[in-house]
Amino acid sequence: MPKFLKEFFNRNGTGMGLAILGLVLFWTIGLIILPQLSMLDFSFRPNLPPPEIGGPKDVYTLENYKYLIYGPEGGSQDYNAVDLRVFFRTLIAAVCVTIFNLIICYPIAYYLGQSKGSHIRIFAIMLIIPYWINEILRAFALRIIFGETGVLNTLFVGLGIFDTPFDFIRNDIALYAGLGYAYILLMIFPIYNVIESLDHNQIEAARDLGAPWWRIHWRVVIPYAKPGISSGCTMVFMLSAGALAAPQILGGPSSLWFTQLIYQQFNDNNDWPQGAAYAIVLLVTCILFVLAVMRLFKVNMGDIGK
Amino acid sequence: MSGSFLRVSIWAYLVIFFLYLLGPLVIMSVTAFNSSAFPRMSPWECLTFQWFDELFRDQRILNGIKNSLIIGAGTVVLSVAMGLAGALMLTQIWPKLRATYYTVIIAPILIPGVVLGISTLVFWDRINRMLGLGADSVLSNGVFLTVIGQSTFIASYCMLVLVARLQRYDVALTEAALDLGATHAQAFRKILLPFMRPAIASAAVLAFLASFENYNTTTFTFGEYPTLTIELAQKVRYGITPSISALAFIIVALTVFFALLNEAKLKRQELVAAVRKNATVEELAGKIKLPSFFAGNAAAVLVVIFAVATITVVGTATAYDPAQCVANVREQKRLEAEQRIQELRQQREEQRKQREAEEAEQGGAQSAPRPSNNSGFGNVFAPNTLGGDSEETQPQSETPPSSNDGFGGAFDPNSLQND
Amino acid sequence: MSAGVGVDLENLWIRFGDFVAVRDANVNINGGDFFSFLGPSGCGKTTILRAVSGFLDPSEGRVLIGGKDMLGIGPNKRPTALIFQNLALFPLMKVWENITFSMEIKGASAAQRRKRADELLDMIALPGQGDKLPSELSGGQRQRVAIARALCAEPDVLLLDEPLSALDLKLRQHMRTELREIQQRVGITFIYITHDQGEALTMSDNIAVMRDGVIDQIATGKTIYNDPNTAFAASFVGENNVFRGKIKQVMGTEAMIATNRSGDLVARISTANQGKMKEGDDAMLFIRPEALAIAPDGATGDHYVTARVKHEEFEGNVFNIFTQGDGGKEIKVSIPNHGQSFQDHTGQSITLEYETQNAVLVPAGELAAE
Repeated sequence: MPKFLKEFFNRNGTGMGLAILGLVLFWTIGLIILPQLSMLDFSFRPNLPPPEIGGPKDVYTLENYKYLIYGPEGGSQDYNAVDLRVFFRTLIAAVCVTIFNLIICYPIAYYLGQSKGSHIRIFAIMLIIPYWINEILRAFALRIIFGETGVLNTLFVGLGIFDTPFDFIRNDIALYAGLGYAYILLMIFPIYNVIESLDHNQIEAARDLGAPWWRIHWRVVIPYAKPGISSGCTMVFMLSAGALAAPQILGGPSSLWFTQLIYQQFNDNNDWPQGAAYAIVLLVTCILFVLAVMRLFKVNMGDIGK
Repeated sequence: MSGSFLRVSIWAYLVIFFLYLLGPLVIMSVTAFNSSAFPRMSPWECLTFQWFDELFRDQRILNGIKNSLIIGAGTVVLSVAMGLAGALMLTQIWPKLRATYYTVIIAPILIPGVVLGISTLVFWDRINRMLGLGADSVLSNGVFLTVIGQSTFIASYCMLVLVARLQRYDVALTEAALDLGATHAQAFRKILLPFMRPAIASAAVLAFLASFENYNTTTFTFGEYPTLTIELAQKVRYGITPSISALAFIIVALTVFFALLNEAKLKRQELVAAVRKNATVEELAGKIKLPSFFAGNAAAVLVVIFAVATITVVGTATAYDPAQCVANVREQKRLEAEQRIQELRQQREEQRKQREAEEAEQGGAQSAPRPSNNSGFGNVFAPNTLGGDSEETQPQSETPPSSNDGFGGAFDPNSLQND
Repeated sequence: MSAGVGVDLENLWIRFGDFVAVRDANVNINGGDFFSFLGPSGCGKTTILRAVSGFLDPSEGRVLIGGKDMLGIGPNKRPTALIFQNLALFPLMKVWENITFSMEIKGASAAQRRKRADELLDMIALPGQGDKLPSELSGGQRQRVAIARALCAEPDVLLLDEPLSALDLKLRQHMRTELREIQQRVGITFIYITHDQGEALTMSDNIAVMRDGVIDQIATGKTIYNDPNTAFAASFVGENNVFRGKIKQVMGTEAMIATNRSGDLVARISTANQGKMKEGDDAMLFIRPEALAIAPDGATGDHYVTARVKHEEFEGNVFNIFTQGDGGKEIKVSIPNHGQSFQDHTGQSITLEYETQNAVLVPAGELAAE
């Protein structure tokens, strides 16, 4: 038995040690690693009816990935323009949502992190409450507001700003507002956690030295809050790129999100390997993108989730 | 000068921010009480509780709640257990493995829920086939798959909550218990677990809420057991009614209530601790006079106000009957509608004539010119405003009539006949 | 009073990776002894304690309690109770629950536990405090609760890991007496870890002086103070003045060394080193401040030292004179205050004398850090 395991069992006892080890192995290997590998494997296989699985036709193939790029074999177009456009649109929109969230959340996180007083706790509760409400209901609430006969249109038309109701849904404004809305807390909390630990004297000192407020933020607060900012941005980007509920409810009829394509492959077309391939593409692209951005801003993986 | 300007702009920003955050929830809640069949705040028709009634008679919703509770319970147990084991492992893992291990257990938070759902489905389907089990085995059961799929990432959240408290745990306490003769299991149960209890409670609540509201993963794994969220999504996608607002209102109310209750409890614990600290030996041995529950505890007062308000509302709901008001509104609408139909007929007649004239001029022009002013019509002629229960028969009609020029519903015979 | 259960360490080695925390320790602790491990922090004394209590396995060698090899026996099965440095009182349990935790484990009823808790609370002079939480007690009270909790387990050996280090000076001195009294009352073996030589000297029957994982000397406090084995033991336990030199001549149990500044000095060779030191060896000569006295001016010889006085201090019971000594180190002289008139010597050159038997010679070695 390796020394590490021996110490582990000495420290936790045999029974407890086995329980801990068993749960951890079940989680990491049985729930995290193997399913992902299994999906990866699956994405390289053809879509076969159950009796043929494991049969002679069950061979590895790149078909599912080719499909994303070139579309169906013998199709009219050179490239799978529809799916590719959805894919890139999803990524770009997720980046936009992330930036939008960062801009609106940073001031709040800074304010909450640096103010003292009992009203901060009330603000914290007010922040958390929307997060406890169902994801679907949050999207539904925005739907009520952004609908053609919704609150905003009634208001704007009533005030005479618009002549006719503006179609927020068709123009994807509702979708972006919904995605931003859904993940506000995930942006605020990491930044808040870091800024809360920033010694207020540092800001005072910078102010004392005559720095204007924007320079204080640029040179003192933001560099300090970088781990929190990157953590929040990573979470928001990954979650909005992987969002399904908001696009389904708030997206216009033509504005598909990449997750919706995956959903369609699975539930409507019943083509699991194709869906798995799309899921892999989404996962790998998002991870590579996040890693690239993290390298660009020199942030460590260990900061995520703090 | 600039200081006060800054303060005002900060507060203005806070107000706008929280309006963005809470406004939609408030509006959604309010629409639950409007008798309008499309969830909206204006025009306000009648105060009604019928949507709650409808909600409680909806078998699919009730069934969804039942499934959500079962799955939530399973997820709480599994993910708190795995999260605790994961946190314990993190504090004592071999340093060289630590970074890798942390990345693995934190990764599920970042993996899109859709991907988790698919991988869970694919993996257990394969296991199922390898074991030669049929499609009705436990491993392909919707409850099992959903619990497993959700726990994959919810356990990571639990782990983060638990490890934060675990880092403040003094290992000497466990050693002291062992030294005094406890077994490892006893030390765990009597020392570590009580210490971790607040964090475990937080993690359990978090896990339950995350499970309850999860959509992305569940939508691939639920099988025969649609959760409340799945049912809601189906409803929202294929026809929104204020009964969803009613459900939302209940959830919002419960959330606010429990948030306040929790705050009141925390505040009370602080007050009690402060009193204990100053207590003399006799007071501790005998009866210690604790501050009354409401003293210095605004949250507790709010909880009580909240409870009273709830009772009042429920009381009103049982006694209140909006039938007369609804009938009035309906009659008024019918009159308006008739009038509009007359106008429309005229308009259509004019259009027809105009088109004929144009066709005669140009020949073969396909599209009808868009009516110049349809702003007022959209509201009234959205079919669901006329037909109280038309949702069931016309699932597509809730979509804002963007694709049919705003008039589509008006010419749908169903909408008028239902009235 | 029973003889108690003894503890033996045989050729004990404990390694952490490449680091050797304990190097070949051999200790026999008699049953009923108050035994101290004394050494600076990081010397391995806590490691020894953890090996005795069962939290660490020896890399080599054996730990025996009552003559029985403890290998493979977990801490919960050993007849030891440990008082942790930070006490490790269970923060969520009341005082009485803390004290009787070991009974709870064995399934005793609440009534039995309360009764025993009250007895122990009386013993540690905290009657009626059982319903408080540990956080509501003062440092000294917590200390006593930790002792009561350990004693409640009725151990054969009580292990104490610097339990007084968190207390203030006054309380620390008071607790020393109290601990010693408790030990004599219960009659079990106490193994005490400390870096405070005062604690070790006042309480212990026997002391092991440790340095860098090695035990330098095991003896009574008096022996270690008067007859240290090594330069480290001589400099770590109590104040001492050191003179370095080469051995010029060995004369039975005495030897003469040649120093650079103070000329030739004679001293007794410490018992453990007799017969092992020979001419030409580097040696260190230690004289306690109270063993030096002011000699008449002009006296010379091999037990006289001449030095210039840098400054003086009046401490009440003694006058302290600090003079410029060997290698830049000060020589401290303590003259008991018998009410005699005392002349200020600052700036003057004075001659100090000592009796040969009060100066100890050991092989040159590492000194304890100040």
